[in-house]
Amino acid sequence: MLSRSKLVGLLLVVALVIPFAVTTAQDDTIEIVFSHAFGDENRQQLVADVIAAYEAEHPNVQVTAISNPSYRDTLNGAILAAQQGNAPHIVQVFEVGTQLALDSGIFIPVSSVTDAEQLADLDDVIAPVRNYYTVGDDIWSLPWNSSNPILYYNRDIFEAAGLDPDNPPSTYNEVLATCDVLMEQADALGLQGCIGWNMHSWFVEQWVAEQGALLANNNNGRTARATDVMLDSGAMMNIFNWWKELADNGYYIYTGALEDWNGSDALFTGQQVAMHITSTADLVNINEAAVEAGFQMDTGLLPIPDSAERHGVVVGGASIWLTADHPQEELEAAVDFMIFLGNTQNSVNWHKGTGYFPIRYSSIDQLEAEGWFDQNPFFRTAFDQLTNTVEGYATSGALLGNFLEVRTIIEEAAQSVIDSGVDPLEALTEADARADESLAAYNEAVMGE
Amino acid sequence: MSLDTQAILWSLFFGAIFGALITAYVYGRHQRSIITGAGVGAVVGALSGQILMLPLRHCTFAYDPEVVAEAGTRFTPEFLFGIGVVLISSLILLAPVWVWVSQGGRLFNPEVGRTERFGRSPLPYLFLLPTLIILVFFLYWPMIRVVLMSLETSFLGLNARFVCVDNYLRLMNDSRYIHSFTVTFGITIAIVIIGMSIALFISVLASQKIRGANIYRTLLIWPYALSPVIAGLIFLMMFNPQVGIVNQVLYTLFGIRPRWFSDAALAPWVIILTSIWNNLGFNVLFYIAGLQSVPDELLEAAAIDGANAIQRFFRITFPLLSPYTFFLLITNVTYAFYGIFGAVDTLTQGGPRGATSVLIYQLYEDAFEYTNKTGSAAAQSLILFLLVAGLTIIQFRYVERRVTYGE
Repeated sequence: MLSRSKLVGLLLVVALVIPFAVTTAQDDTIEIVFSHAFGDENRQQLVADVIAAYEAEHPNVQVTAISNPSYRDTLNGAILAAQQGNAPHIVQVFEVGTQLALDSGIFIPVSSVTDAEQLADLDDVIAPVRNYYTVGDDIWSLPWNSSNPILYYNRDIFEAAGLDPDNPPSTYNEVLATCDVLMEQADALGLQGCIGWNMHSWFVEQWVAEQGALLANNNNGRTARATDVMLDSGAMMNIFNWWKELADNGYYIYTGALEDWNGSDALFTGQQVAMHITSTADLVNINEAAVEAGFQMDTGLLPIPDSAERHGVVVGGASIWLTADHPQEELEAAVDFMIFLGNTQNSVNWHKGTGYFPIRYSSIDQLEAEGWFDQNPFFRTAFDQLTNTVEGYATSGALLGNFLEVRTIIEEAAQSVIDSGVDPLEALTEADARADESLAAYNEAVMGE
Repeated sequence: MSLDTQAILWSLFFGAIFGALITAYVYGRHQRSIITGAGVGAVVGALSGQILMLPLRHCTFAYDPEVVAEAGTRFTPEFLFGIGVVLISSLILLAPVWVWVSQGGRLFNPEVGRTERFGRSPLPYLFLLPTLIILVFFLYWPMIRVVLMSLETSFLGLNARFVCVDNYLRLMNDSRYIHSFTVTFGITIAIVIIGMSIALFISVLASQKIRGANIYRTLLIWPYALSPVIAGLIFLMMFNPQVGIVNQVLYTLFGIRPRWFSDAALAPWVIILTSIWNNLGFNVLFYIAGLQSVPDELLEAAAIDGANAIQRFFRITFPLLSPYTFFLLITNVTYAFYGIFGAVDTLTQGGPRGATSVLIYQLYEDAFEYTNKTGSAAAQSLILFLLVAGLTIIQFRYVERRVTYGE
């Protein structure tokens, strides 16, 4: 009996120790760990292809990709690993996590490792994208998957309603006017509403930027840490008043759930609404669904308030960050791989495979030369919108450590206006107070007393 | 932090007073000396009060002139909260003393759990050791950590800073948190009462001697095999305001399309319905088992005496089912407090405007969605734990009295 228990114990010890023994085996190859948030097969395969190509070029480097269930888990996992001295070299962080990533203290700017040649190469990255991830004078992270919101519309319904399908509305009033026409014939057209977008703060943030307004003080937190979230601004009121008017007229509908991307796509592809606003990242999927449902869709610029000058959009999506505390050669290899991941060709492949847009001017040139936009005209809108963006603090996006909570606060304010008939000014005043309080608590937690 | 003598004295004082008063009463009731009781109670209460006061570093009783000036009284909210903590803490050692006295000088009932097999051998404790080790590392230690975390603020687990009971006091003044309490109790009551009534009704039907009864019974248990998240997804599709089957039917019949998830009056009912449906199989399973254990002779005898079906049900079947009802009451309450999370997360995410923001969901949001609220989330999880533990104790004390156990 004793011998058996000893045997079992021994087996246990072996089972526990062997994995460590194997992983600690060392040779000359440089191992780079890349932690990202893409769980779907399609995107994982694209990543694997890039890694295989890179390893073929650099036989002494081995890149291991780790996939996490969400952006949030990716960042949390990296922070935990860093506390144990075992951080993945490259970590994908979503755009609103930028301040959080900075505050976590586990990352170093990519531009602190790049050499002059690499740095010059990064000038090719589309300016509004690069600006988002440049804080102070440092390029902290490199963009990877980027997107922005555009208007989707149903050409067939436009034609049936006697509207010009080549001329979608591009301002708030034009949307209202178009909806007036469409909803007069709602029953004939089979429409439940005129326009639907998912109740997500992202669109509100975009509309603030389009008006050239700021979401937070200290130039969106870019010149100093933000201490005031400005949710009761005139720009916010423009958005909420219009949104409320659409809803009051029965023009705007949504599924009732917050951040319901798929549900609102379904409203559009199910032809319950004639217009839809969502990310360019869904272009491929939505178009496929439209073809299947037997209607023709098209895209237009994100509609903006009539009084505003079009300032352009804030980049959405995620970027890749470099963690500190690795040997110099590993850091250099990691940065080299990060640049490779977003080089002209890989950026083109990534765009074609996912719908996220390429992040380099040279990639767009290459796509133009290939005739990609002639075959896929929808994609042009997104590029026009992005490349025409006016550079500035408004379109660089806000840096807020509590951005996730601010998003929830904005969405709850929107829901109270749209569903509970709360006055926009009242809703935004309350939201503003909550957001400021939350930001103060965050800043206090980060900086200590 | 230097030791604050005055604060320590306060905490000893409240523990001693509380211990002395109650213990004297308990001693008196069991024909023992009240004076001895007061003495023993004072010492044990004062000592036991320190169990929770030490990790708190007696901070609630610390004298801060600014805070006192602001509150206008020495009895600041912190101070009062501290008294509450001392009382709870003193119960940890006082309760065993009271049990000891009321059982005539024995802590454990000698009739229970006595076997001669091991005698005085330490072997049983050795056998228990693996379980104890697991409990200590995965249950007790995390629990202690949660207590300590609830006294701190931190950012991503970094920059941890001791803030005394601020997290708790903030929660008490947080109107959203108070609202969450109301929501939780409302939803819980609905789930428990409606859910168990429907389950009992269906179980009675399914227990009739009809052809294929076994098949019905099996089918009725199926919803329980689904996780709350899957149940939530099914209801999400069914209740989708624009394309869901529910609204298609309602629109065809009545021309209405209720906004199930964004209307604050409707959203809680979708959650309640989902939870009831999801939990139905579990309730039915136990009720059917219970119904099968009701002796036919009793029902027959009653029938011969002229009792009709309704009288037989309420006078015989229902009382005989009481152990099952009691068990299901506890599990359903626990489900409504904790298990509801999956449904809320998939269906409404706590919205609209907090109408379905139950305690467990709010806790999750603060702990895992936001970065600087782990302290508050830890405090919330302790409050939730005390709440559910308290409810269970109340149920055992007051509801179980009405339970008739069989032989």
